[in-house]
Amino acid sequence: VRRKSRKIGTRPITRRKRRGHSNATPSAAAASAKTLGLDRLRLRLVVFSVLLVTIFVALFSRLWFLQVLAGDEYQALARENRVRRVESEPPRGRILDRNGNVLVDNRPTLSITIDRQLIDEEKIPKVLKRLSKVLDVRVKELRKRLNDGTVSPYKPVPVANDVTEAQANEIFPYQERFPGVDIEELQIRKYPYGRLLAHVLGYVGEISEEELEESDQFRKGYRAGDIIGKAGIERTYDAFLRGKPRIEQVVVNADNQVVGKRLKQEQQPGNDLYLSADIRVQEIVERALADGIEAARGGGYQAPDGGVAVLEPDTGDVIAMASYPTYKPSMLADGFSFKDQRMLAGDPKTNQDDALTNRAMASEQAPGSTFKPITAGAALANDVIGPYDGLDCPGSRTYPPEGGPGSVAFPNWTSADSGFVTLPKSLEISCNTFYYELGWQMETRWGQRGDGTERFQKYERRAGFGNPTGVDLPYEQDGVVPDMQWCKDNEDIGYCPDGWLPGYTVNMSIGQGDLKVTPIQMAASYAALVNGGIVWEPRMGYEVRRPPVQEQDELEETQTRTETDPQSEDGDPQSKVTEKVEVSKSKLIKEIKAPRGSVLPLDDIELGAIREGLEAVVASGTAASSFAGFPLDRFPVGGKTGTAQRGETGENDSWFLSYGPANDPGYVIAVYVEQAGHGGTTSAPIARQIWEGIAELEGVQGVDASTEVSLASDGSG
Amino acid sequence: MATIFGEAVDRIGGEPISARMARKAPIRHLDPTLLLMTLALSAYGALMIFSSTVSKQEAAGADPAFFMKRQIAYIVAGVVALLVVSFFDYRHVRALAPVLYGVTILALILVLTPLGDVQNNARSWFNFGLFQIQPSEFAKLALIVAMAAWLAERKGDVRWLDLGLCLGIVGILSALIFVEPDLGGTMVIVAILIVMLLVGGAKLRHFIALGLLGTVAIVGAFQMDLVEDYQIERITAFLDPSPDVRTEGYNLTQAKIAIASGGLRGKGVGSENTQTDLDFVPEQHTDFIFTAVGEQLGFMGGAALLGLFAILIWRSLRIAAMARDTFGMLVAAGIAGMWAFQLFVNVGMTMGIMPITGLPLPFVSFGGSGLLMNFMAVGLLLNIHMRRFL
Repeated sequence: VRRKSRKIGTRPITRRKRRGHSNATPSAAAASAKTLGLDRLRLRLVVFSVLLVTIFVALFSRLWFLQVLAGDEYQALARENRVRRVESEPPRGRILDRNGNVLVDNRPTLSITIDRQLIDEEKIPKVLKRLSKVLDVRVKELRKRLNDGTVSPYKPVPVANDVTEAQANEIFPYQERFPGVDIEELQIRKYPYGRLLAHVLGYVGEISEEELEESDQFRKGYRAGDIIGKAGIERTYDAFLRGKPRIEQVVVNADNQVVGKRLKQEQQPGNDLYLSADIRVQEIVERALADGIEAARGGGYQAPDGGVAVLEPDTGDVIAMASYPTYKPSMLADGFSFKDQRMLAGDPKTNQDDALTNRAMASEQAPGSTFKPITAGAALANDVIGPYDGLDCPGSRTYPPEGGPGSVAFPNWTSADSGFVTLPKSLEISCNTFYYELGWQMETRWGQRGDGTERFQKYERRAGFGNPTGVDLPYEQDGVVPDMQWCKDNEDIGYCPDGWLPGYTVNMSIGQGDLKVTPIQMAASYAALVNGGIVWEPRMGYEVRRPPVQEQDELEETQTRTETDPQSEDGDPQSKVTEKVEVSKSKLIKEIKAPRGSVLPLDDIELGAIREGLEAVVASGTAASSFAGFPLDRFPVGGKTGTAQRGETGENDSWFLSYGPANDPGYVIAVYVEQAGHGGTTSAPIARQIWEGIAELEGVQGVDASTEVSLASDGSG
Repeated sequence: MATIFGEAVDRIGGEPISARMARKAPIRHLDPTLLLMTLALSAYGALMIFSSTVSKQEAAGADPAFFMKRQIAYIVAGVVALLVVSFFDYRHVRALAPVLYGVTILALILVLTPLGDVQNNARSWFNFGLFQIQPSEFAKLALIVAMAAWLAERKGDVRWLDLGLCLGIVGILSALIFVEPDLGGTMVIVAILIVMLLVGGAKLRHFIALGLLGTVAIVGAFQMDLVEDYQIERITAFLDPSPDVRTEGYNLTQAKIAIASGGLRGKGVGSENTQTDLDFVPEQHTDFIFTAVGEQLGFMGGAALLGLFAILIWRSLRIAAMARDTFGMLVAAGIAGMWAFQLFVNVGMTMGIMPITGLPLPFVSFGGSGLLMNFMAVGLLLNIHMRRFL
């Protein structure tokens, strides 16, 4: 009780009073005089204690701020301090064709890397100079690669690939001369078929910041530094091909010694991707396209580029896809020079077109007369004409037919009057005036300027135009189906100043004007004409398979073979030892089937009439001269030439669409060559060359596939 | 105002205190709270010393509890010293003040000769093989006693002469400690000087003069290159901490991470993969011991430790206020000031609000001399408290 009474504020009031009172007594006064100095000094203790309270307030508030308010932030810092994430990339899945031919594989390469964390800024120039001497690469080039912004600063940057053992031995033992420099064995892509299918296969590279942040595909499960498919099929099916890295979390102490490890994820190699492509057909296609363009250039045409798409009409599978000019994908895997870069990206100075664009799906041009079967389909679907009805084919037609001011004469490609022709015949002779009339009818039958329902355009979209086909390859173009909305959208840049005019429809009916299509759109639309009307979303991917786990000795065997197999950069792919895989041993993970896009509203008789016309084109029409000598009796082919006038230059783009064998089509081929004359001049001979190759593959007798593409004489539209 | 610390009471129940107290033995007036705080802080420290050295000791294949065992031995020695110091009437100490001061000066001079042992670039220790003694720690207490003895003579009437004398007492002492070099120790000496002048009755003009003198001294020290570069770097690092390993800011950054990552509750004593366990904080069992507290026991543990100190210092002030004479009051205030300053600078530096100076946390940091001195200080406080009525 006594001790308690000593505590602050608990002292009884009475005692305090007593103290004040006691001051008055003489004895107390004496005592007080003795301790006067002490009492004064005691007051100073108060000042001191205020100071001390301040100190404690400061310490408590700082502690509260650090631990409670900023705790989470510092916990992350503490984690960063001790946890290192060690990832080992899994081998990426291979890419094979439908027959199990390996198109893309991996090969090990010795790579020189520099870890920017381990090298002092001021030492970099010296180290680079030494490296430059050993590797025979310019310092500037090394510096450029070292400063690659796409590699995270915590990861070693590869500055040189394909380093020889001898070069490595000049670097590796001398760590003090090469601080931060290391030699790693990396897996890089190799392409046993050289250039073949380059545009479809695409290439791989480190994920960019932009992709990481903005691409839906790479949002989940990807992190900076990951190697991803940058283009082509590598990009589309990246999720299957990349596999899963082995991830280990390593805990280190202050001296960077590892004190603990935890396996976060077991490595899982990427799955193999089988394509619907047939590398044999692809080779035929690429050779024919290159030959044809060369021949066109020899014939005085510019022919800067071209593209081919080959589809299987019953399934929507892409059998082949080619673009010219092309490139070696290994260049992108191994590193390329400045000259190569100009070749890849195009060079306006030399009129060199860029090689990276896949023109089979990214080139939008007017289709010319190859569009007539689509116009015919639209007219049939809208009951403008019956399948075997006819129309006159005069040298020109004037719209509006009653004439008057503002009327325009639309000419055929020949001034001769071809008389009354049926719908199949109109395709055979590619009669423009016939299709002008179909277009006019579709525009005006339901009102002076149509009824606003745009029946023609509606059909075109249904036939696969104006939207990407949805093929499983990145960067496909939409094409353009011009209509009233399009006019409105482009008003400000001077298009259709008077709104949509019937004349536009007339022009569009022969595939001219502002209509823009891609070769793959054309192929998909023609496939619908021969498969009963199904417009597919074409698919290049075919199956995803998990390769069988290789036995150890088997693995070593493949590795030795890879090492002894010299990587011949170019040359005839046929002469190279290529690997073929037994499909049955692997496990099917995913089957990829082309989805149905839409169905044409045409019956078998209507489709039959169009096909009859297309087969006549090849047998006796505008493509007959191109197919002279081709065994059409054993391998019938249907097709349509197209010559699209390029507005700006008056040059023509050359188109040829075909399918075969006509009785049971297994292939639809779209050939497009820019500024290469009429459809029958360049593209039809290219197609013929392809058909010869295919016929030979199919075992058709009497085909000579060894001939080169030669230009054919053709005056049609 | 003095009621905060309790008042000096001269009569209880009408009976003069002296008469009453004459019947009572001093032991009856022990301050158990102060003693309890002392032991609690020491035990807390020993545990933290264990947790911050165990992983390194294990890695080296040494006795994991080596440092803790040593510290416990120091604590036992400290308790003995405490008992001895509290046993004699502190007023005898007053008489002994000049002797204590003289011995201290002698020891500080001797330690600078080859008799002294160099550790961490500082010649601050006498090495007796089994244990070492750091005279600068004891110098703090000797200074408190010496200044209290002189200022008590003045009874609050400090003149310029007294100020000069105090400066002389402190100047010789701090110069000897400064050249060891022990910057932290020097700072404590200066802090003690200021606290004791404040409580001992120095006037405002004295402090102004002192401030001017201090400025001149600091500028002079820099001009004459008496301060080493690393000392400047350490002091300024807290203004712009850099996590770079090569700079002084590294220690501070790691210390801050350790404390702050403890969060509210801490990661638990001895838990794995902490900053403490992985040895990211340098000198953790000595100057940076508070980081072990903060990380392992969180805000709860850190606040508890500060709370223990708060009670300890409050009890010291209370003893100062209740002291029977000026000498007792000044000694108690000096001790409170010494602890408060060391606490503030030490804990403050680990949290980045004070510059990094080599200062141990009283009772908690590993180290025998400091612990022994602090226990002796507690003994003095208890002595003053027990004999406040005699």
